[in-house]
Amino acid sequence: MGEFKVHRVRFFDYMPTAIRAMAFNAHTERLALGRMDGSVEIFNFADRYFQEKVIPGKDSRSIEALCWVGGRLFSAGLNGEITEYDLENLRPKYSLEAYGGPIWTITSNSQGAHLAIGCEDGTVKLFEVLEESIQFERNLDRQKGRIISLSWHPSGTQIAAGMMDMIRVFDVPTGELKTAMLLVDRGFGGSKSRETVVWSVVFLSDYTIISGDSAGKVQVWDGHTGTLVKTHLVTKWDVLALSDESSVVVGTSEGTVIQFQFIAPTLQQQQDKEWVRTRTFKNHTHDVRALAEIETAIVSGGMDTQLVVRPLLEKFDERSHASALRKIQFPHRNLVFCAKKAGLLLFQFPGQLELWRLGESDGHVLFLCDICLQGEDHICCSALSSCGGWLAYSTMSSVRLYRLQTDNNDISISKVPKLPKILRSAHQLCFSSDSSKLFAASSQSSVLVIALSQSECKYVHTLKPKSGQQPIHLMTNSVDGKWLATANSDCEIHVYNVQKLKLHCIVPVYGSCPSAMGIHPTTNNLTMVHADQQIFEYSIVEKQYTDWSRKLQKQGLHNLWLDRDTPVTHVTFNPKNPEQILLHDMHMFCIIDQSLPLPDQKTQFYNQMTLRSLSEQERPSHLHAFKICKTFQDLLSVSLLDDQSLVMVERPLLAITCQLPAPVRQKKFAT
Amino acid sequence: MAKKLLRTSPSSSNKFNSANMTDDFQLHLDSSDDDAPEEVTFEESKASALRSMKNALETSKREKDLLKEKRRKRQEMFQEQKKRRLLPAHILEEIDTAPSKKQKLPRDQAESNHEEAYCSWEEGREGSKEGYEKETKKGFKGNIRRLKGNYSVMRVADQSSTNSQQQTAMDFIQARLYGPGSQRTTNNEVLSLQNKRGPNKSAAMQFVNKKWGTEKKAKAEKLKKQWIQKRKVPSS
Repeated sequence: MGEFKVHRVRFFDYMPTAIRAMAFNAHTERLALGRMDGSVEIFNFADRYFQEKVIPGKDSRSIEALCWVGGRLFSAGLNGEITEYDLENLRPKYSLEAYGGPIWTITSNSQGAHLAIGCEDGTVKLFEVLEESIQFERNLDRQKGRIISLSWHPSGTQIAAGMMDMIRVFDVPTGELKTAMLLVDRGFGGSKSRETVVWSVVFLSDYTIISGDSAGKVQVWDGHTGTLVKTHLVTKWDVLALSDESSVVVGTSEGTVIQFQFIAPTLQQQQDKEWVRTRTFKNHTHDVRALAEIETAIVSGGMDTQLVVRPLLEKFDERSHASALRKIQFPHRNLVFCAKKAGLLLFQFPGQLELWRLGESDGHVLFLCDICLQGEDHICCSALSSCGGWLAYSTMSSVRLYRLQTDNNDISISKVPKLPKILRSAHQLCFSSDSSKLFAASSQSSVLVIALSQSECKYVHTLKPKSGQQPIHLMTNSVDGKWLATANSDCEIHVYNVQKLKLHCIVPVYGSCPSAMGIHPTTNNLTMVHADQQIFEYSIVEKQYTDWSRKLQKQGLHNLWLDRDTPVTHVTFNPKNPEQILLHDMHMFCIIDQSLPLPDQKTQFYNQMTLRSLSEQERPSHLHAFKICKTFQDLLSVSLLDDQSLVMVERPLLAITCQLPAPVRQKKFAT
Repeated sequence: MAKKLLRTSPSSSNKFNSANMTDDFQLHLDSSDDDAPEEVTFEESKASALRSMKNALETSKREKDLLKEKRRKRQEMFQEQKKRRLLPAHILEEIDTAPSKKQKLPRDQAESNHEEAYCSWEEGREGSKEGYEKETKKGFKGNIRRLKGNYSVMRVADQSSTNSQQQTAMDFIQARLYGPGSQRTTNNEVLSLQNKRGPNKSAAMQFVNKKWGTEKKAKAEKLKKQWIQKRKVPSS
């Protein structure tokens, strides 16, 4: 395997943002996630929960609720605007001011023709969903309190609105209130003086309304008569989220997720069905603010920034990776960039970039500079050239390029003033290895090639694929500067010839999205790792898969490799040993040695410890190609510098937990 | 007199009666000084006390109203003065057109004015991250024109865009979830409890994790040193 010196980096203060809202689109099997900083993430639930797209946030944008209408995504927030997102260009398409004050909730009816929003001023506004936009239709009767939550009846004729201390039901065609008003009790004890906030309501098809409020109650009402059928006191704190599909799922401030099902409570005779509390999950440490129920699992997210997918075991026949609990903590893309020749590290935050230099032998680290963005937009992507002389970042509205000069301990950084006008914003940025070109992924899977020189930068060419709609999320280029490979969310991988500036070949499409790519420095083989943990190696020169790759596919990957639940986010190579491929995911670091035999299903997969205990003669017979190291945990990035030292950037989850907002105080026995 | 004490009539009629009685009371006082002091019934004194209190309340209310009136008048006067002091309409128009002209500048130039990133750099300081200090150098911020007099014109876009309604809504959520009555604790406590109840029991978070609460620990160290110094100085 070889010995490497390791720089263990733990000073990247990466802090994920809390999850505020989520919406699942059953047709496309995509989950949209809205975070508190205004960013929207799209996860592909059909492809191992891979984070396909990220739309960066903005300081002035706030997201309180998300909703899908067909394939279109809408969000509404406290700034009073409804925003529609362009998922192919990863930006908001337009924002419509609703003129009702801060918007608390947005929901669409089951026919997908209307959107209803609940506003601070007590109005429920109806918008008509048109082809390319939405249009205000009318207001329903204005109420005296703020409308916190809304739910359409599946027929689209009635809407239930949760407000302060009450729930009101509107008749949509006339806009008037139905006569029955549902009064929600205030809590017990100290909270009698405060109004109860009905944080969420659900309107079921049999005219039952289920509500969750700040007194910790889940109440079942009869929608026709307005009477309370049953109260379940679920928690001492607030019940913050409700979701319904076949069952009702409730999220609380304690971090518990509770499921209610409509079943007969006992097995005797023919009892009437009622809503019974069935399961409780405690997968979060902080408030659960967003819930979604999909066919086979419950998805929850909240203030502890983790997305938890809890499959319901009754829907699975056998244990597989699909039936295991999944926690998605880190983004599925790189936030750390390394300049291999210069030993520099670039950390990407939403609002700033930090540049550090790694010391040579003494392990010291030097903080070089910090580039803060002035403006509201957050960073989409950034890049650092391997010589350490160029730095670029892109937001949704602009791209910035900087020239760096480092001599010993000083650094001078100067902005390159005039960038080509065509370079508006980029989804991915990449420098060529000799720092003469900058590649920027732009709309419709095309790549802009910009030539860099001491004095200026010039637009050279746009590399266009034959067909490509989705945005590029991975880009890598070869060390000799001849090839550039790009991957987009449609799982299409294109390889371009940079010197001739045209498309060279298209890699056969595999069903799962690639999560990491790398081009070998000497053989120019493209190594791809996909979200379902499959590994392929494609020879660019020969335009076909390599023999090693075919051998690997024939034998199949080991079960333990395929069962891993975090995707590989970075592939890199060792210049001194061309047989080695280095990759990592959140929990492990792996070196694949192509000269060694592949493991079959019966061999011990994690065999590093065993190998150490064997003698010299016995070792060769037990070696296999996958050498996995689990010493370093919560890895964000692993890179290999030119001087054969590994840089492991870790972000311990405990450090993230320390900076989260306050959790609820739970009185536990004997503490 | 005894009969009057036992009477359990409602207070209004009581007052009415006592009013009559105090009239008599006054007449009696006027009559002579040698007579024995008049016995004052409980109801009478109660009534008079109530009346005096009522008077006091009324006077204070009247005073408050007067003050309010005065304040309102002053406020109106100030508004008038402010209106008079505002620039005449045509100058305001001129100011309106001038910033809009500036907006028509080519995008690049405007960007270099407004969105210039400001950098900070370190003068060759080695060491771990805790030791460094960042120097920030602010670039040219905003587009502020200075006119004659005490007026300055700024673009609305430069101001914070959170208007008051949004702020109220955010405060509402913050108060409901994290405000008083929400029974929140600290991350430190939750993690320390986990340590205490876990399979391998260990100490609270701030003792186990060296990096926890470094500022507090540094402050405590400093205070400890100061205290030792103080103790040394008087004794030496």
